[in-house]
Amino acid sequence: MKSLRLYKHAQVFKIALGIAIIVIGYIASVFYSKMQKLDDSVELIATSNQTQLELEKLLSIISNYETSLRSYIITKDESYLKDRFLNRGEIELNIRKLKKLTSHSPEVTKDLDSLKVMFNRRFDLFRETLTIAKAKNIDKNELNTKLLESTAYTNRMREAVYRRINSEAKKLRDLNNTHQFELEDSIISAFLLVILSLLILLLSFNKVNVDIDELKKANDELQFLNLSFNNAEKIAGFGHWKVNLETNTYTFSDNYYRLLGVEPHAFEPNLENATKYIHPDDLEYVMQTHQDSLVNHESTSIVSRFLPENGETKYFRIVGSFTHNSKGQLVKVGVNYDITDLYKKTVELEENNKELQAINDELESFNNIVSHDLQEPLRKIQMFISRLEDDDGGGLSDQGKDYFTKIRTAANRMQTLMMDLVNYTRTIKGDKTFVKTNLNSLLDQILLDLALNIEEKNASVTIGNLPTIQTIPFQIEQLFINLITNSLKYSKEDVAPEISITAEKITEKETYQDIDLTDKKYHKIVVSDNGIGFRQEYAEKIFVLFQRLETDAKYSGTGLGLAICKKIVENHNGCIKVRSKPNVGTQFSIYFPKNA
Amino acid sequence: MISHKDPIHILLADDDEDDRNFFSEAIAELKMSNRVTLFKDGKELMEYLNQPEIKTPHILFLDLNMPGKTGFDCLKEIRTNSKFKELSIAIYSTSSSEKDIEETFVGGANIYIKKPNDFSKLKKVIKDVVNINWQFHSSGLNKETFFFSI
Repeated sequence: MKSLRLYKHAQVFKIALGIAIIVIGYIASVFYSKMQKLDDSVELIATSNQTQLELEKLLSIISNYETSLRSYIITKDESYLKDRFLNRGEIELNIRKLKKLTSHSPEVTKDLDSLKVMFNRRFDLFRETLTIAKAKNIDKNELNTKLLESTAYTNRMREAVYRRINSEAKKLRDLNNTHQFELEDSIISAFLLVILSLLILLLSFNKVNVDIDELKKANDELQFLNLSFNNAEKIAGFGHWKVNLETNTYTFSDNYYRLLGVEPHAFEPNLENATKYIHPDDLEYVMQTHQDSLVNHESTSIVSRFLPENGETKYFRIVGSFTHNSKGQLVKVGVNYDITDLYKKTVELEENNKELQAINDELESFNNIVSHDLQEPLRKIQMFISRLEDDDGGGLSDQGKDYFTKIRTAANRMQTLMMDLVNYTRTIKGDKTFVKTNLNSLLDQILLDLALNIEEKNASVTIGNLPTIQTIPFQIEQLFINLITNSLKYSKEDVAPEISITAEKITEKETYQDIDLTDKKYHKIVVSDNGIGFRQEYAEKIFVLFQRLETDAKYSGTGLGLAICKKIVENHNGCIKVRSKPNVGTQFSIYFPKNA
Repeated sequence: MISHKDPIHILLADDDEDDRNFFSEAIAELKMSNRVTLFKDGKELMEYLNQPEIKTPHILFLDLNMPGKTGFDCLKEIRTNSKFKELSIAIYSTSSSEKDIEETFVGGANIYIKKPNDFSKLKKVIKDVVNINWQFHSSGLNKETFFFSI
């Protein structure tokens, strides 16, 4: 989850960075073009200024010339005229300079051309004035006229020059405005550029910091995990290995080495070194399984003996399966468990089991002996006794007849005991197949079987509405037979036995050995009678094997019946309780789990 | 009802001499007009039954636990031979184990009797079995009525 989030984070960051770079690039290019323009306008301003300056220079040359001429006319001093050719050259030079400066503007060039014509004309006028002034006889009128014409022409020229200068000044103002505007624009662009760059720089720095922190955390966690894993391997007694099938390189974990009784990385991790520790008898099987798995790429799980350095043979379970690593290379990954203890215990358990089986078999044959072989002679004894009794004692004395009655009682008792023993051992034995049983139909059958005994005692048996539960039928049959015959046996001599078998709702809190017997979980079936009962303090004792309360001969019993009942109820995961009062009656409560 | 024109022919196969004696004495005391043939093991019984020209007897009381050929073997042999389909077989055994009852029921016996331990009960059993309406008993054959309670 976390790595996914990080990854997404990185994607978003990359996109943001891309956008930022595009924006910066755009702003930088805008800035560059602004600077370029600024440069141009600066040049234009300079040119314009130069143009103005040159033009003014021209005017001043003309003025100088004029002044010199006037000074000559007044003083006739030739020295005033010595610069006149020089000045003419200077003007030519200036106009060439101006032309060069304003070459990009045809309008100015045109103006300059007309200015040049004007200058030439002005110099002609100078020459004419000078010629008049140098004559021997100065025609004052003509000179005055020429001077006036010259002055007028100079004024015209001045106007033309100033026109040009004004237009240059206007141009300069315009340029200045634009320049101002572009300058502001460029400052904003530059400022934006700096701010944005700074922002990105800060963000990047922050991001890098956060990433490094997270990376460090992840790294720490990984290291901790590795450490825990190593410890877990050590504690749990397993080691893991990896085989990269493409590069054919082997990796063994620290505990893998320890399991072999050597220090971690004691030998070069390869197949040859690893197989040295496998028990020679198992080597072929292990290698075959490994090689097969490399072909069919199926998981393996085998047990093999290993011979670690300390010499004691160990049993390892080796489990391997196939996967791909991050480079997409096929890797077999596996784990070696030390199952020596488990193996030894299993062997021990198997032996114990065999022994138990043998004991069980013996018990079974003992059962057969009791139920068949011992009964056979006993039955014959009983037969012969009955033959004798039928023959009216066969000429026996009264005492002899009495003895025979006693022999018969003893033989009958022995038979009952043997039957009970067989029944008891049957409840101990395995064979527990549960069948859904309707207790009402089961009891109908039992009452039919016991009809004679019930009739004999003149008893009445009431059966309520009973549930259908999961039972081992022959055992439950035995349970109710035992309880009913018990009630018949321990009935009062002068009162007809009344037995009732009903299902009851558990309404009060009832427990048995700390288990809560709730109505939700248990069926409660009550078998009650109006017999001789017993003192409640014997309630536990009556379920114990061979424990009998009555010693009177008329209540013959083996002390097995109720022990069998208890065993049967326990076999059904239920429990049995008893409440009794001497001379009032006994009430057995049986609890069967509902979900069983 | 078995026709009483013919005297009822009863067979008993039991290796126990005392039991054979009890059996014949009981029949004698019942004063029934019937013929009883006794066999001391399964081999003898089958040799008798396999004689040609023999008239099929009516009822066979068959002990299970016999040396050599057991009662189970005899039951199987008899029930695979259609010649004896009219012969009613009453298993007569000391054991009353579920396993034996189940096996003989499946094997085609008609009734299962646990050897009684009282002579008067023995007489009652023989009388009741002989007087059973076999046709009715066989047609309504089920496990509940198979085990004959005295």
